[in-house]
Amino acid sequence: MATTCATLSLALTTITAPAATAASGHTVSVYAASSLTKVYTALAAKFQAAFPGVNVKISYGSSTTLATQINAGAPVDIFASADVPDMTAVVSEFSAPKNYLVNQVVIAVPKSSAITTEAGLNGKVTWLQCGHTVPCGIAADAALKSDGVVTTSPVSLESSDANALAKLLAGSVDAALVYKTDVIANPTKLRAISFSDTTAASTQYQIGLSNQPSTLKNHWAQTFYNYLTGYDARKFLAANGFVITQ
Amino acid sequence: MKRVDPVTRFLAWCGALFIAAPILAIVIKVPWSHFFSALRSDSSLTAVWLTLWTSVVALGLCVLFGIPLAWWLSRSSGRITALIRPVVLAPIALPPTVAGLALLGLLDRHGLIGQWIYRSLHWQLPFTTYAVIVAGVFVGMPFLVLICESHFRQLPAEIEDAARIDKASNFQVFRLIAIPQARSGVITGVVLAWARVLGEFGATMMFAGSLPGTTQTWTMQIYQELNVNPDTAYALSVLLVAIAMAIIFTLRKPLQSAFRS
Repeated sequence: MATTCATLSLALTTITAPAATAASGHTVSVYAASSLTKVYTALAAKFQAAFPGVNVKISYGSSTTLATQINAGAPVDIFASADVPDMTAVVSEFSAPKNYLVNQVVIAVPKSSAITTEAGLNGKVTWLQCGHTVPCGIAADAALKSDGVVTTSPVSLESSDANALAKLLAGSVDAALVYKTDVIANPTKLRAISFSDTTAASTQYQIGLSNQPSTLKNHWAQTFYNYLTGYDARKFLAANGFVITQ
Repeated sequence: MKRVDPVTRFLAWCGALFIAAPILAIVIKVPWSHFFSALRSDSSLTAVWLTLWTSVVALGLCVLFGIPLAWWLSRSSGRITALIRPVVLAPIALPPTVAGLALLGLLDRHGLIGQWIYRSLHWQLPFTTYAVIVAGVFVGMPFLVLICESHFRQLPAEIEDAARIDKASNFQVFRLIAIPQARSGVITGVVLAWARVLGEFGATMMFAGSLPGTTQTWTMQIYQELNVNPDTAYALSVLLVAIAMAIIFTLRKPLQSAFRS
């Protein structure tokens, strides 16, 4: 038995070890709010084109879920959260986060929709928003409450901004409370109606670099972090509708 | 006398531990001191109740259509049933996300059937409680069909033949002989299908959405609470573990025979 096990583990080591060593210094692991999917995928591609051999792995999801995973020990170098509370939740690992971007929840409707105002949701309209615990849902709740115009209820509380957007793009609903940047990313399909209280509808994104030894030793994690927070990336993010804050 | 050699025994122990350890972990992580207060939140109770009643309705539909389907598949050897069998059993092996997408493709307001419903009634199935039930039937019925069919096939031909000689109709054979004879298989199928419906997550989330009291089921509640109140998530989870264990324990004998065909 022992021999079998030893042979097996030896075989496994031979297969995986060289690859792991070669890639370990060149892999950057990023957790990002689902609303960053499009821009971050593009930024990672640009970065990898400039530095061949560096492998940027990005996991997208609701910031709340990502924060839970980070607290459960998920190995991650960079975290971009769509609000402050989710970054605060991981303060032991991301001890020096920076204000990064501001985004705004809007009422997104298909280009051809008859809905033109916030009150348009008060008809025979099916609309959805993000759950009450995730950033896009918290901002949506705040905006709805502050404006006090909408009297109907959503048909679903989606687990992330990306899920809410997907259902709108699939045509399953008439409207979705998603980010302004989602609408800007789909100019031929969607149109945005802003809430009156844009402050309530806004959410502050934060970005942070892990203080774990594996990240501190990873020169490329630092480099990619600097890239994401640097001039070029910010210019690109601004062009995609994000408001840059420092 | 020991009948299992040490190497095999060691591997067997590894296998058993691999499965038992996570289940044990969830039981240990549950906040037993305030187990009931963790569960007593309105949203938890709403989700549990919604899941229980929708799963029972879904199960009723599974039985109504699934048992006749299993009987038909077991008693005909035509080309049509040979084609239908893999299709109706496919959801067993289908990833839930794909199941959700398939349901949307058929029934959302741009779907093959959904667009007609939407045009005439201005109503759509997704995001309603009915959608939770439909998703449940879609993922649960194949289990029932698989197990019932295998039991129907194992029934001794003599009784059926004797009944036919006594001029029993095909329907009488099905109702008065096949179902009672295959009782343990039918029960196993029903309970396993129920377990599958109870634990459904992905297809429902895609197809029905998630709204407390309407479509937010037990498993979705666990997913949501994990980010906010991990204690509640663990308490809700351990209840499902208990149900699963109870199911498997009560079914240990029929389960063995169900998969022995």
